[in-house]
Amino acid sequence: MGDSVAGVTTPARTIGVDLPPTVDFALIGHQESWRAAADVLAVLRGPERTPLPDDEIEDILPWIPPRAVCHVDVGSIIRTKSGGAKARGLYIDSFIPPDRLEAAYVHENIARVRKAAACAIQAGAKIVSLGGFSSILIEGNFDQLPERRGTFFTTGNTLTVAFIVQGIQKMCALEGRNLRRSTLLIVGATGDVGSGCARCLAPIVKRVLLSARNVERLRGLAAKLQDDGVQVEVAADLQQFSAEADVVICAASLASPSLLLGRIASDAIVCDAGYPKNLSPTAEMLDAKVFFGGLGQITGGMKFTPDLHGVLNRHPFPDVVHGCLLEGVALALEHRFEPFSQGRGFITQERVDEIETIAARHGIYLAPLYNADGPLEDGLDARWNGREAA
Amino acid sequence: MESLIGVNCSAMECSSTGAPIWRDILAQAMTGELLAAMNYTSLSEMCEDPTEIADALEHAQGEQGHAAAFAAEGRKIGVDVINNVDAKHWKRLRDAFLRCITERDFIGCLIVQEIMLESFAVASYSRVGKVAPGSLGGTFARIAAEEEDHVDHAMAILRAERARDAQRFDDKVYRLHLDVMTTLAQMLAKECKDGHCEVCHASCVKPSLFEVSLSAAELRGASLQQYLKTLDMLGIPGEVTLTWVTQLPV
Repeated sequence: MGDSVAGVTTPARTIGVDLPPTVDFALIGHQESWRAAADVLAVLRGPERTPLPDDEIEDILPWIPPRAVCHVDVGSIIRTKSGGAKARGLYIDSFIPPDRLEAAYVHENIARVRKAAACAIQAGAKIVSLGGFSSILIEGNFDQLPERRGTFFTTGNTLTVAFIVQGIQKMCALEGRNLRRSTLLIVGATGDVGSGCARCLAPIVKRVLLSARNVERLRGLAAKLQDDGVQVEVAADLQQFSAEADVVICAASLASPSLLLGRIASDAIVCDAGYPKNLSPTAEMLDAKVFFGGLGQITGGMKFTPDLHGVLNRHPFPDVVHGCLLEGVALALEHRFEPFSQGRGFITQERVDEIETIAARHGIYLAPLYNADGPLEDGLDARWNGREAA
Repeated sequence: MESLIGVNCSAMECSSTGAPIWRDILAQAMTGELLAAMNYTSLSEMCEDPTEIADALEHAQGEQGHAAAFAAEGRKIGVDVINNVDAKHWKRLRDAFLRCITERDFIGCLIVQEIMLESFAVASYSRVGKVAPGSLGGTFARIAAEEEDHVDHAMAILRAERARDAQRFDDKVYRLHLDVMTTLAQMLAKECKDGHCEVCHASCVKPSLFEVSLSAAELRGASLQQYLKTLDMLGIPGEVTLTWVTQLPV
């Protein structure tokens, strides 16, 4: 292997001892693709070693127990006497294999998230955000997390909703659309994120179409919105809607973009807020304006140790992170260690406003819009305030 | 005591198609146990405390018993289980342990034997125990459980040592990791790229493992997982040990 004894102390000393024993926050996530997993392992392996072949990665990764991968230091735009406010955290990977995200592995994956949560507790994290699939797995199962003292968990869904809503408003403004005249379709409307989007956007659109597999839950959500005077239609099958949507939020991953065909306007604005994101503007919706929703950007600075910048956050703009993870970061910078988002169906406009304000105070804003083809804007205006367009 | 029916079934199942594979698996296991017995004997010679000497000798005897149990399982399926503690990989592992002895490094000896070699043994024996038929599987499972007890015993000593000076302890583990785990990783690679291991009877057993519902990748994965979990129990930060393991050869 050729490593000298002199080099032995470097990894442990850099990470293990010079840093304080506890952290403000922890972010629990996993890699969306084998390519992403390979890139993470390549960084950890170091530039002097040949990257692991793909087949070796697929053999090894499923055996790695959940654990911290790197330290994350974030800065706020709030200035203090000693400089900018900062928070220190850990990124913990549950090492859910990218090909095991489906329902057949749900128990195995919950066990992995539980172990990742135990790592966060052991590290002394005061607030823990559940990213990506971890949030979906746990949002209705918080009782399955390990016993904790002084560590709070949040799904991060409230800030995700905030960024989705802001993204819709920004895209409408960029495209010269009037949201108030729009028919909004939400796919996955009964989930925590989908129902939160419905509550926030229903009052400011013309009509709402809600779709999900559970019709009973759909009807319950629709009834509450109708009580507030919203025009609502529900259907498990998209083809059953009487109207065509011109604004769409996919809060659940679609098996295929073609499922939307025929039920949305050809030039509809489509927010891919599912996980993993799989809608492509070039697939079968050539004129649709597709963007990836629920993403935010840290403008006060973010540093990974070891340097996994652009590897853990693979976006065309710097310091872009999923809203669910950023919620924990914002709460840590605010020193509000509390389970801000828990359970399903509790996200309201007031809570969205609250977390949006906290995030913005620390320089965490809606990320510049992009999709699978690349950026949809230049990314220079990081301080978009969606309410201006509404 | 096992029933005659059990023994016969085991022998029939093993000897039908898999006997050459089980022979090589048993040979690796037996070699590992004999090497562990030698290591504990060396440790006993280094120790001065009568309790430590007695402990080390008891462990050595236990490992000899494991080796004998594997040889007996071989006889049940009609194969003569060979061993070769001088085979290239095993010899390197023994040499690494002997360097700790030379340095009179008791803690280093425990790290090599109990943390590294036993992680490999516990994980691989457990996997074999799940798929091997009859008493063969039972023996592997039983010995895996006994080896796990060894690890628990050493854990208290090693944790106390780490509490005294975590940085020094972690540096020592890393130095030994580079030596011992690099060799183990080469042993556990999916293919033996640098020639015959000098333990398998004929050609390398790895490509044939699927015939007995095993694979080299699975044995490697389980061993590295066990190793990482053991290092977690010692309190070494997970992000540090993850980097160590990702840097091993494949």
